[in-house]
Formats: sequence, C-alpha cells, structure tokens
Amino acid sequence: MITPGSKYFLGLTGLGLVSAVLYCFLVNPSDLGAYALFGLFISAALIAGFSIFTSDGDTDSVAEAVEANTETTAPSFWPIVFALGGALTLLGIATNEIVFVLGLAVLVGGAVEWVIDDWAEKASADTEFNSFIRHRAIGALDYPGIAAVVLGVVAFLFSRIMLTVSKDEASIIFIIVSALIFVTGFLLAAKPALRGKSTAIISVVGALVLAVAGVTSALNGERKELVKYAKEDPYSISHRECGKEAGEHYDHEANGSVSLRSGVIATIFVEGGKIRAQEVGLKRDVQAITIPRSNSTTILFRNLDSEEYRLVANLGEAKVGTTDVMEKVGTCTQLTGKNEEQALTVTIPKPSNPEAPYTLTVPGATGEIKVVVP
Amino acid sequence: MDTVSPVKSLTRRISTTVAGVAGAVVLAGCAQNAPQDTWKPKGDNAQMIYSLDKLVFPIAGIVGVLVSALAGYIFVKFRDKGQAIPAQSHGKPIVEIVLTIVPALILTVVGVFTFRTIMDLAETQDTEMIINVTGQQWWWEYDYPAQADQGITQPIITSGQLVIPEDTNVLLRETSRDVIHSFWIPALNGKKDAVPGRIHLLRMQADQPGIYAGQCTEFCGLSHANMRMEAIALSKEDFAKWVANQQKPYTAPAEGTLAKEGEGVFINQCARCHQVNGIKDANGKAIISAPDENVYSGAAPNLTTLMTRNTFAGAMFDMVNQKCRADVWDAKSEDFGAKYLAGVTEDCLNEKNLRAWLRNAPAMKPMYADPAKLEKTNGLYRGMPNLGLTEDDIDKLVAYLLTLK
Ligand code: HEC
Ligand SMILES: [Cu+2]
Repeated sequence: MITPGSKYFLGLTGLGLVSAVLYCFLVNPSDLGAYALFGLFISAALIAGFSIFTSDGDTDSVAEAVEANTETTAPSFWPIVFALGGALTLLGIATNEIVFVLGLAVLVGGAVEWVIDDWAEKASADTEFNSFIRHRAIGALDYPGIAAVVLGVVAFLFSRIMLTVSKDEASIIFIIVSALIFVTGFLLAAKPALRGKSTAIISVVGALVLAVAGVTSALNGERKELVKYAKEDPYSISHRECGKEAGEHYDHEANGSVSLRSGVIATIFVEGGKIRAQEVGLKRDVQAITIPRSNSTTILFRNLDSEEYRLVANLGEAKVGTTDVMEKVGTCTQLTGKNEEQALTVTIPKPSNPEAPYTLTVPGATGEIKVVVP
Repeated sequence: MDTVSPVKSLTRRISTTVAGVAGAVVLAGCAQNAPQDTWKPKGDNAQMIYSLDKLVFPIAGIVGVLVSALAGYIFVKFRDKGQAIPAQSHGKPIVEIVLTIVPALILTVVGVFTFRTIMDLAETQDTEMIINVTGQQWWWEYDYPAQADQGITQPIITSGQLVIPEDTNVLLRETSRDVIHSFWIPALNGKKDAVPGRIHLLRMQADQPGIYAGQCTEFCGLSHANMRMEAIALSKEDFAKWVANQQKPYTAPAEGTLAKEGEGVFINQCARCHQVNGIKDANGKAIISAPDENVYSGAAPNLTTLMTRNTFAGAMFDMVNQKCRADVWDAKSEDFGAKYLAGVTEDCLNEKNLRAWLRNAPAMKPMYADPAKLEKTNGLYRGMPNLGLTEDDIDKLVAYLLTLK
C-alpha cells in the first residue's frame, strides 16, 4: 500500500536510481558522483520503506486527518543548531581540529536536544505536561551547558584584556572588577528590592563593556614584552653569554625566568666576592658537589652580594661538529642581583675525569666548586 | 548426603569458604620469614611510624568494630518484618552534639600525632651522610658524594644494594632517570617517590648491622615487580672497610689468564654500557662507557665492584648460592659485617644465575630489549639485551667478573 507520506520518497527513489544508472553509463561508474547518486537512491528507498511500514500520513477519514494536525508543534531552533553542527564538523575536517571538535559538540548537543524535544512534544495530549517532562529530562543539563559557554566567553574576553594592558594596569583592573562584583553581589543580597530589572541592566551593561573591551584589546594585540617572548627565547642556549659583563640578549629580564628551587641538588652562594657551595640536605660548606651521570640535575645559584653575578658551569671540551677542533662546553645563569636566585639545569652524560673535573665558577668572584660525576 | 537439603548444603559451603579465606588471611599475617614486614622497625624512622601505628590502629580498630557491630545490629533488629512505621522525630540535639564532638576529638588526637611524625620524618638538620639514589627501569643506582668526615674521600657508585653505616643519620637524595619510582625499605622508613627532575629527601638509619629488603612501590612498567633493593647496614669499622674496598684502584687480570681474556670480551661486548672504573684498552687509554647512547634511561649498573654485592639486576637474583646466601641473611648481627664483606667468592658464586643472565638477560627479567622493537626509544634499550654470546665467551666473562671485587 502506497501511503501519502511515502509518495515523495518513492519518487526520489526512482529519480535516484534512474540518474545513478544514467551517470554510470554516461559519465563514470566508479567515481564519487556514482556513489552519491546510489547513496541517494538507497537512502530514499529506505525512508520510503519506513514510511510505508508505519502507514505515515494514512488516514481513513478527513476528520481523523484534521484531528491529527490540530496540535501544532512548537517552533524549535534545535534542527538549526544540529545543521550548524554538521556544517562545522565538515568544515573542521577540512580546516582544523578545534573547529571539528566544536562542531562535533554542537552536533551532539543539538541532536540530543532535538530528540528530547521531539519526544516530549508527543509524550501526551497535554502541552503543559509535555513541557514539564521536557525540562525534567534535559533541563538539568541545559543550564550548566549554557553557563559553561558563557563563562568560557567571559574568561576568553577577560584574558584578552589582561594580555593587552600593562602589568600594573592589570592589577588595578583586577582590583576594581572584583570590588565591583563583590559590592554588587552584596547589594543584591542585602536589598532584594534591587533584584529583577536592575540585575538585568547590570548584566547587560557588564556584558557590553566586556565584549567591547575584549574585542578591542584582541584587535590591539598582546602587550609588548609578551610579543617579544613569543618571537625569541631570550634564554636559548645560542644566546648565552657567560662572561662577567651583561650580555646583549641573555641578561634581559632575568627575573622573568622560572625558578626550579624545589628540586635542586645543591646551592651555590656568592658572599663577600667568594663562592661557596652546600649540598641539599647537608648543612655545611663543601668544595665539590656530586651529581648523577646522564640525568638532568638542577643547581641553585644565590647571590648574597650587591654586585650582579652569574653562575657558570664549565663542562669540559667537545669536538665541534664532525671536525677535530675542540671547543669548551658550558652553560650559565643570567646575571643575578642581590638576594636573588637562578636555577641552572645541566645534564652530563660522561663521568668526570679525576684529573680535570668539571667546575662551577662565578666570573668576578673568587673560588671554584668541583662537579664530580661518578 | 540426600538427608541434607540443597539450601543447607549451599549455606554450609559458603560459610566454609568464608571461614577458609578468613583463616588464610589471618595466617598470612603470621608469616615467619617476612623481611618486608612494616611492623618490625629496625631503625629510628621506621620506629616513629610504628609508634604512630600503635596509637592509630587500635583507635581505628575499635571505631571500625563498633561501627560495624552497631550497623549490623540495626540491620537485623530493625529489618522490615511488616511492623508499623514508628513515630518520626526530628533529631536529638544531644546525640548530634556527641556524634560531632567525639569523632572530632578522636581525629584531633590522631591528627596531632600524625603531623608530629610527618614533621619528624621530614627533619634534615641531623643528617650525617648524604647518598644520591637514582631510580631507573628497573634497578636503583646509589652514588656517594665525597664526605671526608665519613671517610669517603672519592665518590663511590654502586647499585642494587645500598650500604650504610649503622646508627648513622643518612639522608637519601632520590631522583629518577625515566619514570616515577618509589624507594621503600619497610624496616628502615616509609616510602618516598623518586621523580624525574626533582630531588626528594628520605631519612635512613639502621640500629644494627643487617640486611633489609625493599622494593619499588610506584608502578614503573614491565619489570616493576622485579625492581627490588636491599639496604645493608654495617658497623662503622666494617663500613670503613667497605669504603676502602670500593675506592681501591682497578687491577687488571694477569696476562695469560682466562680472566684476562674475559676482560677483552668485556671491552668488546659490555663496556659500551657498563662502566668499570680504571679499565684501559690495549693502548692504555681509559675506557669510558656510553650508556646514554645505548640505554633509554642513560645508565647501566657500574660493575667496578660487582662481586661485593650478593644480588644483581635490581636485587632480583642471587649472585651467591643458597648456602652462602643463608649464611649472610641469617647471620647474627655481630657476624654479619664480616660475612657480607667477604663478597662473592668462587665457592659461593651462583654460576647458574650469572651465566643465564649473560646468555640471555631478557629471558630472565622482562625488559624492552628486542632489537626489532626499539623505534619508540630511538634504538635505545630499556634493560640489557641478549648479546648472543658463545659459551666460550661466557666462561671467560665469568672468570673476569669474579675479579671485580
Ligand atoms: C645495551 C647496554 C648493555 C650491554 C651491552 C650490556 N649490559 Fe649488562 N646491563 C644493562 C642494563 C640496563 C642492566 C640493568 C638491568 C636491570 O637490572 O634491570 C644490566 C645489568 C647487568 C648486570 C647486573 C648488575 C647489577 O649490579 O645489578 C650484570 C652483571 C651485567 N649487566 C653484565 C653485563 C655483561 C657481562 C655484559 C657484556 C657481555 C653486559 N652486561 C652488556 C645494559 C647492558
Ligand atoms: Cu620502579
């Protein structure tokens, strides 16, 4: 029995089949076009089959048909979201991963919401009850989902602002914004009369300010020093200039480097122009420190003098590339001011030679600490 | 049997099983030979933990038994027998106050003692000696920085067995070359993770000479269960002897001996991974091993004094035969030092283990040592590979290795 609902799909099935066969004969039986047309044929046939099987749109009388259509369905935007998700996913496959994941999330979210909507709509004859069970089924997920998106947008815009303004301005903005949030929250809690309209106004104004400021700062770009860090790494090995004088690149912004002080094996001090060392865990000065072979090991340098110093590790000699020319191997910290600390991480693959051990020195200060690698 | 109803026999079967399992668990707690028993402290630090346990366990036990008994009583007594639902009341202030205050008091007492113990165990002011402990898949390396006041004039490096002087506050400085491991000698202290890139401090002190077993307690891959270690405590005089022996210069085997040929095989086959301090090639040039080019962690055990240790490969295998092993492990505290310092003699050598190791190490201890499957580690082994040695070479190597003591 051909039902009214199946007619369109039966037609599509026929069209799909005819065009697929023609395509195969006239164009190419084994390219994408043929697959697409056969795909159309198969999917249309499938839907037509379902439609016939479920007697879709088949009514015995006009009265019955009218009855079936009186309850109009509520407009839903989930199909649009679902379609958008599909488009994003495809776009993501072609462009980049983040878009793909985002698309997938939208796709799945849209599908779930749409399915629940559809189910709730037909759950009973009572619209009110239907909307109630819809909320009970999925409402608990809607709000956290929306909240996550909103918070994400807020955090993103806020971070753009913070990356653009200078460090001092950032602290001031932080103080003002948090104070505002606190005061507003306090007022709303203390004076319930203020809730309602004023909350809405505050939220809208806040959102607008955030959006405008966020977008403007994103367009302005990050603050100067952040751009500089991203462009060149001032701590890179090739920039290390381990002499007494301040280096052109390396000694800029020394205190911006991260201290690794929690995992050190020894601390080297400069005090009164003299260098001395303490092994971690042993509270007395030593002349030599021992570090395990082929393992990255961190040494802390602490300058107690007012003059700026750096710690230099002299790690023997090695051949330059494939030539036979020997070159000194070493590394150093940046210049370090009074009471400041820098960490130096070294990895020494070979045991030290008892006659010529590796050393730690501080240009401009006297003394040296032996580094023994057993 | 047909007089027993099926229900009864099932109940009986279940109860016998439960009783059997419970009995086995109880009996397992009574093992005679349990070297890793946490409740047999042999040093100050383990003693601190034990004292805390002695306080906390009874409290926790009493609370546990009381709560379970009460819960069981309520389950049985007030189960649904079709009775009417009793009148409902809303709380009883006195009960609520008591049930808040009593646990709070118990937790405060337990907390105070626990924090004190934690702080005491983190103390480093009283350190007398430091030792660097480095974990890697699947063995421990120990290196002793020079400490003249402890008689260590040059650094010492060894593996598997950590040797310490008795009654001395030793501070281990743990780190790792690959993944996270955890160092644990239950008789001497609790566990402490060894984390790559960090130095963690762990106190060690042993009251008496003896051998104390332990094992890695942070899952670290294939042979984690085989990553064992032993702490050896020696009297101060014996420790000085041990140090002197570790620091004495290398003596090459005499020309024309089997051991000398073994040295040659060693130089060809083993020296690229294993360091023997002082070994020289035919031209008299010192041979420096390059484990960093062959092994993923960048290290292989230093074999300079291999035969002073009586276990090998992460303390997994005995280097000595059963009789000699029992001699050392069961020795009285006074005799222990001399027996341990005797090292591995020709009579004591467990040739079977050592030969099997040289013949095919990965067959003895699971390691990532299949040359065909090293893409992930850029051609580096994790563990010791099968070197395909001939029995002839193995004879020579055993003769040579026996001289390393
Ligand atoms: C590719 C590097 C490599 C080569 C080559 C190599 N080994 Fe090893 N060897 C290791 C590693 C890694 C271990 C530690 C394995 C473990 O315990 O998990 C080891 C362990 C050992 C041990 C146990 C040491 C101890 O104190 O626990 C002995 C003995 C040994 N090797 C002997 C030899 C001999 C002899 C040769 C030469 C025939 C040799 N090895 C060649 C890497 C190597
Ligand atoms: Cu481990």
